Amino acid sequence: MQLLLVEDELDIQSFLKSSLEEAGYQVAAASDGKTAELLAIDGVFDILVVDLGLPDMDGISLILKLRQLGVRAPVLILSARRSVDDRVRGLEQGGDDYLTKPFALAELLARMRNLLKRNSPTGNEATKLRVLDLELDLLRREATRSGQVLQLTSQEFVLLEYLCRNAGRVVTRSMILDKVWGMRIQPDTNVVDVHIYRLRGKVDGKGQQPLIRTLRGVGYVLKDR
Amino acid sequence: MSSKTAKPILHSAAWRISLWATLAFACGTMLVFVFLHGFVANDIQRRSDAWLAGEVEVLGDVAERTPKDALYDRVVGEVAELAGKEVPNKDVSESSSNDSVFFLQTSGGGALQLWVGAGNGEANLRAIRASRIVPDHPTDLDVHGFAVPFRVASIRMDDGSYIYLGLSERDELRVLRSLRLRFVLLWFLLVLFGFGIVFYTTRRMLSHVREITEAASRIGHSDLSARVPTTAQKDEVGNLALTLNHMLDRIENSMHQLHTITDSLAHDLRSPLTAIRGKLEMSLSIGSHGDQAEPIVSVIEELDRLTDFLNKSLDVAEAKADALRLTRSDVDLDELLRIMIDLYEPSMSEKGLRIRLQSAGPLKIEADAALIHRMIANLFDNELKHLPAACTVTLRLTVEDDSSSLIVEDDGPGFDPEVLPHLFERRVKGRESNGHGLGLAFVDAVARAHGGAVAASNRKNGGARLDVILPLFANSAGHVNASRKMTTTSSLQP
Repeated sequence: MQLLLVEDELDIQSFLKSSLEEAGYQVAAASDGKTAELLAIDGVFDILVVDLGLPDMDGISLILKLRQLGVRAPVLILSARRSVDDRVRGLEQGGDDYLTKPFALAELLARMRNLLKRNSPTGNEATKLRVLDLELDLLRREATRSGQVLQLTSQEFVLLEYLCRNAGRVVTRSMILDKVWGMRIQPDTNVVDVHIYRLRGKVDGKGQQPLIRTLRGVGYVLKDR
Repeated sequence: MSSKTAKPILHSAAWRISLWATLAFACGTMLVFVFLHGFVANDIQRRSDAWLAGEVEVLGDVAERTPKDALYDRVVGEVAELAGKEVPNKDVSESSSNDSVFFLQTSGGGALQLWVGAGNGEANLRAIRASRIVPDHPTDLDVHGFAVPFRVASIRMDDGSYIYLGLSERDELRVLRSLRLRFVLLWFLLVLFGFGIVFYTTRRMLSHVREITEAASRIGHSDLSARVPTTAQKDEVGNLALTLNHMLDRIENSMHQLHTITDSLAHDLRSPLTAIRGKLEMSLSIGSHGDQAEPIVSVIEELDRLTDFLNKSLDVAEAKADALRLTRSDVDLDELLRIMIDLYEPSMSEKGLRIRLQSAGPLKIEADAALIHRMIANLFDNELKHLPAACTVTLRLTVEDDSSSLIVEDDGPGFDPEVLPHLFERRVKGRESNGHGLGLAFVDAVARAHGGAVAASNRKNGGARLDVILPLFANSAGHVNASRKMTTTSSLQP
């Protein structure tokens, strides 16, 4: 996967580059709009990560320019601005996504995966999800573990479905809030943890291998191995 | 805005001004006319008196010189009849019977000697006898059988007889009546015309003022870049618009500065935070040894709290300065509360808290969805953090006029009375609270930014109560109403 990273803060650029490379991307980095443009013309990228505050131009203008030049790859916008600009919302509707700084690396990776998935034509949507001995029937809204039906509320099912779709990858609390409850909020209480705790009580029965793991300070992961 | 234009004209200032101005104008012109009328009436009387005096003297002279023979009556009678045809102010159209003038001569004993005029003169003689008529002074005389009085002049003859010449005031009154009629007609048209002109001009002028008011109230809510409409004229209203626009320029400038400061502050803090958090996360994933991981995890959690604190305090600061930027869309409060309850219910029941919602169904408001989400989350966090076990939180969502009202009540210990008056100020928190004291300040800030208000109070039978009022529409007048309502229910706002 070819990735173009446009970020002027060298500190952030370097850690993003190394962690993105570690995640399997081939990263080309630019620290200003001009360089980014030249790189985008020369190479073919699968995804772009663009910071909004660039020294020589506005990130949005850069994206619009690249679009004019025929760059079709999805863009993930990084913004240090507090309120999300209307123009960013406009881009978001066009299929792109944004993250405000500071962000969790896990969330950045998850959002990039989503963008890439959205961009590539997928086959017919599966009606069943299977992770190890956990099986979700999306049509009947029913989850079973080792053949045993789990008594889940509809909300718990949605949460488990989200974890299953991201099995083996870290999801953060704010990602869960965004995708399961549709809100970008940061509660200073442990509301998400309690939901996970309850779900875990139902999914990981006695004597079974625990599937839902907590990575403190990062988020949660549903084991797929 | 449409409610203002639909306001009845009778309640407008233009109507009142033109009414009073017209009243003053009408009274003034009426006074002038009364004066003029008096003057004209006097003048007409003076002229008819002069004519009477002249004629009666001529008749006296004729009567004196005419020998008292058989022809006397005919000669004097003809002269008198001739005189009657030269009556001043005479209406030319009615010349048939001459009943506007009479000539009467009495003998020394007072008996009727000679009569020229309509009728037999008995009634006239009786009237003359009843009133004392002084020679050379024309006097009014009411005669039985005649609607209008006569003006009578007399002269005493040498032989002791009297000659009376009477002139009906009918013609004089007719002239005055037609004068009055014409004046009233003209006066009515003039007053109507004057009212029209005054009303039109004041209404035009005041409509500028209304436009300015409407524009100014819009500016307060939506954006500061708009300006009130200005006119080319350099009058008071034009100056008002210019002054308002100058003021808006200055406000927009300082607002812009505030945004620049908060934005750059946010940016300058966020970049290092991003770098620190990223590096910590990386080191966590590389060497996940149990004992090393713990401090890193707690640092990441601290960083997240710091970020949240930074966001909230900047939002609160901007909202306090009425500078929070809103991106409005339709938000269903009922749906939002149900989702929030779904999200918070497990944590609450874990603590032994119950939560209930009373709502009449979907309730859409025009608001910034992200801010409203965070505001409601803050309200829930607040209850979750401060309520002891076995309490119940009740949410009531209703519509009042053009505002939505959300009442959050609990049966816990209530607000600390010392803290209550300062609840929505930054860094104010209860003694046992471990938050950073921004939660309710943020709730207040968001409500204000939307033109609503928040009030806190303690319930009579124990427990805390928060009233959150949000206008349904971005430009509704709910702004004023909500604030007014709040100040009457409690006086918590600093």
